[in-house]
Amino acid sequence: MTMSTADLIKLAPELVILSGILLAILVPNLGDARIRLPLTSVKVPILWGGTRFELTSDPRAPGVLSATALTVACILSLTEIESASGTEISGVMEITSFGRFMSMVFTAALAITAAASIYRIPSKKITSADIDEEDEEMIQSLMDNRRQVDLHILLLMVALGMSLMALSTNLFFLIVCLELASMASYVLVGFHKESEVGGEAGAKYFIVGSIASATGIYGMSLLYIWAGSLDFDALALNWSQMESLDPLAGIGIGLMMVAFGFKVSAAPFHLAAPDAYSGTNAPIAGMLATASKAMGFVALMRVLVGFAAPSDYVVAWGTALGILALLTMTWGNLAALSSESPKRMLAYSSVAHAGYMLAALSALGSGLADSATQEILQISVIFHLSVLVLFKMGAFLVLTLVEIDSGEGTISDLHGLARRDPVVAVSMFIFMISLAGIPPLSGFLSKLLMINGLVTTTSGTGSDGATDALSWIQSVDPFFLLALAIVLNSALSLFYYLRIGLVMFFEDTDKQKPLPKATMLRAVIVLSAVMTVLFGLGPASQWLLGLVETAVSTF
Amino acid sequence: MTFTGELSVITLVPLLSGLILLVLPNVLPRNISLKMQPSVRNVCIGISTALFLLTTLIFIGTVGDIDWMLNDFKSFKLQTENPPILIKSIGVTWHLGTDALSFPMIWLTTLLIPISMLVQWDVENSHRFHALLLLMEGALIGVFVSLDLFIFYVFWELTLVPMFFLIMMWGGDDRKYASMKFFIYTFTASVLMLIGILVMYFNTNPDPIYSGTLTGHHFNLALMTEQARIEGLIESEGLRHLVWLLLLVGFATKMPSVPVHTWLPDAHVQAPTAGSMLLAGVMLKMGAYGFLRVAVAIFPESTLTFVPLLVFLGMASLVYGAVVCLGQTNLKRMVAYSSVSHMGLIFLGIATMQPIGFAGALFMMFAHGIISPLLFAVAGSFKHHYHTLEIGSMRGIAHHSPFLAGHMMLGWMGSLGLPLLAGFVAEVAIMIGFWMAFGWWVLLPALTLIFTALYYLTSMQKMIFESNHPHQGILPETLHGEEPRDVNWHENAGMFILGALTILFGILPFIFWDMMSVWSTDFIQTYLVAAMNALEASP
Repeated sequence: MTMSTADLIKLAPELVILSGILLAILVPNLGDARIRLPLTSVKVPILWGGTRFELTSDPRAPGVLSATALTVACILSLTEIESASGTEISGVMEITSFGRFMSMVFTAALAITAAASIYRIPSKKITSADIDEEDEEMIQSLMDNRRQVDLHILLLMVALGMSLMALSTNLFFLIVCLELASMASYVLVGFHKESEVGGEAGAKYFIVGSIASATGIYGMSLLYIWAGSLDFDALALNWSQMESLDPLAGIGIGLMMVAFGFKVSAAPFHLAAPDAYSGTNAPIAGMLATASKAMGFVALMRVLVGFAAPSDYVVAWGTALGILALLTMTWGNLAALSSESPKRMLAYSSVAHAGYMLAALSALGSGLADSATQEILQISVIFHLSVLVLFKMGAFLVLTLVEIDSGEGTISDLHGLARRDPVVAVSMFIFMISLAGIPPLSGFLSKLLMINGLVTTTSGTGSDGATDALSWIQSVDPFFLLALAIVLNSALSLFYYLRIGLVMFFEDTDKQKPLPKATMLRAVIVLSAVMTVLFGLGPASQWLLGLVETAVSTF
Repeated sequence: MTFTGELSVITLVPLLSGLILLVLPNVLPRNISLKMQPSVRNVCIGISTALFLLTTLIFIGTVGDIDWMLNDFKSFKLQTENPPILIKSIGVTWHLGTDALSFPMIWLTTLLIPISMLVQWDVENSHRFHALLLLMEGALIGVFVSLDLFIFYVFWELTLVPMFFLIMMWGGDDRKYASMKFFIYTFTASVLMLIGILVMYFNTNPDPIYSGTLTGHHFNLALMTEQARIEGLIESEGLRHLVWLLLLVGFATKMPSVPVHTWLPDAHVQAPTAGSMLLAGVMLKMGAYGFLRVAVAIFPESTLTFVPLLVFLGMASLVYGAVVCLGQTNLKRMVAYSSVSHMGLIFLGIATMQPIGFAGALFMMFAHGIISPLLFAVAGSFKHHYHTLEIGSMRGIAHHSPFLAGHMMLGWMGSLGLPLLAGFVAEVAIMIGFWMAFGWWVLLPALTLIFTALYYLTSMQKMIFESNHPHQGILPETLHGEEPRDVNWHENAGMFILGALTILFGILPFIFWDMMSVWSTDFIQTYLVAAMNALEASP
């Protein structure tokens, strides 16, 4: 099982991320140090240490570096989606379109996070003149630079873990990659250790997260006892040969659902999520709501759909996941309705969105869906995960701008934003109504596909003889109610999404100045808003859906 | 694909040019954009007038392939052949078409836009105002031409945006409250409508045009209607009624009908004149249009079942609107409530289920679309020159502003249904239809019309004529002793056109009446007769 050069080239996105990590360690240390050749007076520059160059000591350098590396990785993944041929690497990975599509989604989300973080961590640029005069400032700038380095190395680690996770064909490898990404994200959540909430958020997220992981690993070990292997193929074979549900397998799957349920912030495992989101920086919160959630869903799909799909004998987890989905979306929406802080509101809205996607997944587990419908359901989930990177992340980016401006993003900081900064306010409004699922935005398209999947799965089970809606609903399979629940919950969610919009347009504010300039961040926000519209309508949406279809066909 | 896109042109040209004109001043360098700003309104009125001419040419038959004189209204005209696919996966196409139900509304929209621009020619920030009106034109026409429910819904929501900003930025003192109420009301209602649309969507059969969709369903309204006519779109009766009611909520809020009308008076009073003109002239008709096009055509049985509800809503709006008008002292609010009252008549016309009642409702949509903008233009220029909207605050307008008084009288007379003016035709047709359907109950709505006459005549007497001093009248305090002026040339021109059309369509209603009445007969035969028979046959 050696790796050939051809295999390495196929892993190009991961290698780019890896070299990004190495460069992020190396580059900020480059300086003008020289070494004297022994016995001569010739000094040779070794570039390592000494007084750092202006470029390498710039606190923004690590951010630019990691954003570039992630963007390159994202583009490389994109180009590989169509050509991925299912090459096996080391027996634990397989380069599939699905894996490459997901690494594109992960790296895109993280590239945006990295770009936004450049502005978020307070930093002062220093000139050489300052160094002589104020030692303190130099130390401060060094600190700034070092903190940026730490943050961006962690972000790159998250990217590496997620990207490899999407390729894995082995449950053990999957968990290792997942943990690599999770560990890094725990630190990222608590990165702002100066603020009290930051530390608390990090600690809470870490404790709950590690307990969830431990549960999942225990579940994994049970599966190992049951099947004797953690290869997905072997697991799938064992599962399909079961004539009745083996308790070991059942408990194993159940425990893994807890672990991944935490990652996707499904109720009742979501309780740490709102604190984590509201305690950390907006860009990191955005990462948790998009990339981290997508990671959880991929893991969940790998386990539930990948090998524990309903067979002729065993239909195991559909109902459990359905109940979880119903609980998650309702809880998320009700809590979001009553939350005051916009970040907390977005956290709960992300819980609600997890509920919608879980509902679509649970229909896969109901055993009712034919293969075409199964594909639609998977497409809808993956499509939703990928467009969430645009509008969920976009909303967090707007909050990032607000945070840079005022230090903390409370709802009153959004007051009158339309007058202060119309472009950002309009983008935020687009994000909000896309989250709510209003046509023609991409949020509607993905939600319609999910509802459609649920309806197609179940509507055949309704009795033809029913004369009115009520008796028809009573006769139909209960999974149909999930479609209804999505619709009703979406209607409910309109209230809090619109509230953000209305506050921006109607409330008065004392502040007159527009939000900080942050050109790159603004560009990303506007781009996300435009893509939110384009991916909902016309050829762009068709292109993305085509990619998702290709990806899902190799799942 | 040959381009037969007259309808695409009249939808997309104003939409895109409005958008470009809105964005351009913000993107260009400051000195260029400052230079450009004053000429934007010329460009806007130029484009909208050109569109009006194009639509008129389509009507006459010079452009496009409609011959309205052939009386062939069995199908949609100017339908897009092989409609371009917008979202393949869920079956959305750019499918446009028009018929006698929508065409008068399209013509009306293209007519009202340049006129409302003319009436508010001198508005502040005119480069934004007129560009927003252009955007509004595209969205409104889009609602009337689209035969794909997805596109329909998008345009339906899109009309909210420019109107919201028109009220929000150029409105009266209480504009914030009014625009918020307007937005929330209509948005919530249309979300309920969306749920109804989705249920319909999930019941559509696959169609060869939409092969290769992920979902196997489509949003094509023409195909949906056809499917509903042949086999019924939704099997379960209860679900059908539910969807019908959801659609009704969306459409009735837009119309608006009592009890979901409360956003209208606030929006009207606070909106700038042009906004009110479009709101009353076209936007309210979207409700009636959508109701006929979607709810009645696809669910005829439910419509027949709920006729009593329609009559009740219609009567309630008619009576309530008229009674509230009696007590109003605010000119714009009075006109707004009279709109509620007239929209009630449209519901009554539909509820008759008679060809003449339908045609009357259609003509009412059109006639009210000419008269009420005139009334709002009058109210707007009254506010502009006298700085007040209080009805009792002044006497003797006829002396101070003879032109204004003339337009005011013509508008009010038209609105109360004076013979030989456009409103009369519609009212009479609806009453005849009502008599055919419900017999002597016709006395109820007919007598309510007396109230209409009552409030118009009393305010006319108070404002236009009555004067303590035969040559001076009373001037409102808000003038602070200034001399009152008569209307500006551009206000006058706009009102003249509207007034002339009120008379024209009163004397020669058959310009649109013929096609409306043929359409109504055909519509009832195609969609409703089978349902009526089925309803009679069932015990």
